[in-house]
Amino acid sequence: MFVSERMAKNLITAGPDMTIFEAKTIMAEKGFRHLPIVDSAGKLIGIVSDRDIRAAMPSTLMKKADYEITLATIMNFPVGDIMTKNPLTIYAYYTIQDSLLMMQKKKVGALPVIDQEGYLKGLLSVRDLLRSFVSVLNIDEPGCLLCIVVNAKEKTGQMKKIVDIITEEKIAMGSVLVARAWDNNKRAIFPYLLTNNIINVKKKLIENGFELIDPMQWYLDHQQPQ
Amino acid sequence: MNRTGFVYDERYLLHLTGGYHPESPERLKAIYKRLEDSGVLEKLTRIEAVKANQRWIEAVHKIHYIMRFDEACISGLNEFEHPDNGICRDSYDTAFLAVGGVLKAIDAVMKGEVDNVFCAVRPPGHHAEVDKPMGFCYFNNVAIGARYLQKEYGIKRVGIIDFDVHHGNGTQHIFDCDPTVFYYSIHEHPSFAYPGTGREFEAGLAEGEGYTVNSPVLPGRGDDEYKRLIMQDLVPAFKKFNPEFILLSAGFDAHESDMMSGTNLSTEGYDFISEVIMNLVKRCTGGRVVSVLEGGYNLDIMPLLVENHIRFLADLK
Repeated sequence: MFVSERMAKNLITAGPDMTIFEAKTIMAEKGFRHLPIVDSAGKLIGIVSDRDIRAAMPSTLMKKADYEITLATIMNFPVGDIMTKNPLTIYAYYTIQDSLLMMQKKKVGALPVIDQEGYLKGLLSVRDLLRSFVSVLNIDEPGCLLCIVVNAKEKTGQMKKIVDIITEEKIAMGSVLVARAWDNNKRAIFPYLLTNNIINVKKKLIENGFELIDPMQWYLDHQQPQ
Repeated sequence: MNRTGFVYDERYLLHLTGGYHPESPERLKAIYKRLEDSGVLEKLTRIEAVKANQRWIEAVHKIHYIMRFDEACISGLNEFEHPDNGICRDSYDTAFLAVGGVLKAIDAVMKGEVDNVFCAVRPPGHHAEVDKPMGFCYFNNVAIGARYLQKEYGIKRVGIIDFDVHHGNGTQHIFDCDPTVFYYSIHEHPSFAYPGTGREFEAGLAEGEGYTVNSPVLPGRGDDEYKRLIMQDLVPAFKKFNPEFILLSAGFDAHESDMMSGTNLSTEGYDFISEVIMNLVKRCTGGRVVSVLEGGYNLDIMPLLVENHIRFLADLK
């Protein structure tokens, strides 16, 4: 799970001298929310987001005539004036997990990817991360979710048993989610199975002492009292 | 009482999916026996199935896909492109016969020989995509039926109601961009149940936007939720669309006793669905409806649900 597989590579970039008008037009046309700014050699020097552009716009509460004059003036400023200089960057060999934590902690919507010399190589946005999680969870593949509760304190190796049962049924697994802190000493395991054929695997799990939970019961049990 | 047709053929039992597979010939045997024992069968008009002309299957599926299926069966493979889709040497012909049964049912209704028909066919169809078998389905029987109604009989608006517990991804995708076929599906929520599609925001594309409606039901929910969603999502939409013909993807796997799903629809809940549908049919199509079997895997309860459903079709309730 490296950034290199998930980042956008065919980037549209701008120089710092591009006008705000041009940058705004490009971003609107292409549906991008971030525009990396590079120098003439292709080294990253900044990034402009659609927020930066909006922040530079005159207030819509101004009188119409004043608004238009101000707008025309602002549109001719270079993006270099509003870009975030020295933005947070990542390398292509960073993992998706690194990027996820970085975006969450630093509250940014996109991370430019550079090489050791500082040349721009790609861009990883929240949208790319979302896509990679859909793909990691495999929820764009047909399948269904099992909800299993195991007593983690009494017995170990429960996960192995579950995987064995699924494997015996020749079912491919799309992903497995584990809720470690379920109830007291209990864990919940959610295998996403790439099959429609779940009757036999459910029966075997029950025969082997596993508890299949009704997810809605769980939802209702965890509601805060109104 | 309505004149209700019944499509069934012993050759539907020839499609073998492999040991312990829930989509087994036993399903149809159990339905047949139940209808015979209950005396319902003798009140129905038997319609003989014939193999469909391939050109109707090509109206939905890619020719190369049809050929791949043929080859897989001829070569004696025991699955077709996914372990879910168990096959045997007879599966290809049986799938042609399932489509053909639905087309004969449509003929019988359109020619006025019967008022409506229940098709006890297998393999089922609503998961089958244009170019891909999925979830025990190979040819999309109902989708082919809709195209047949349009091309052979000039029907302009076809309504499809899919109450199998799984979302009919194939049918939805085939008619995504088509405003002449309205697809309504009520099914277990896609975050839990196969195939993981059928969310509320899937509502048709391009010209077909607004002609697909999905009602996902969370696991654990039953009759009340089904009733609420059907009255809120299906009834007004179909009254507005006003289909000239209604096709049903009739799945009986949403029942509380069916381990294939987590929804808790009761036997009475199924009656409610059949009743509402028959009211819509009366109002919109003048009685024309063909109901096609999809899922339903609990052999102890599914035959009763089918019988009850047929009683509503035949006005024997």
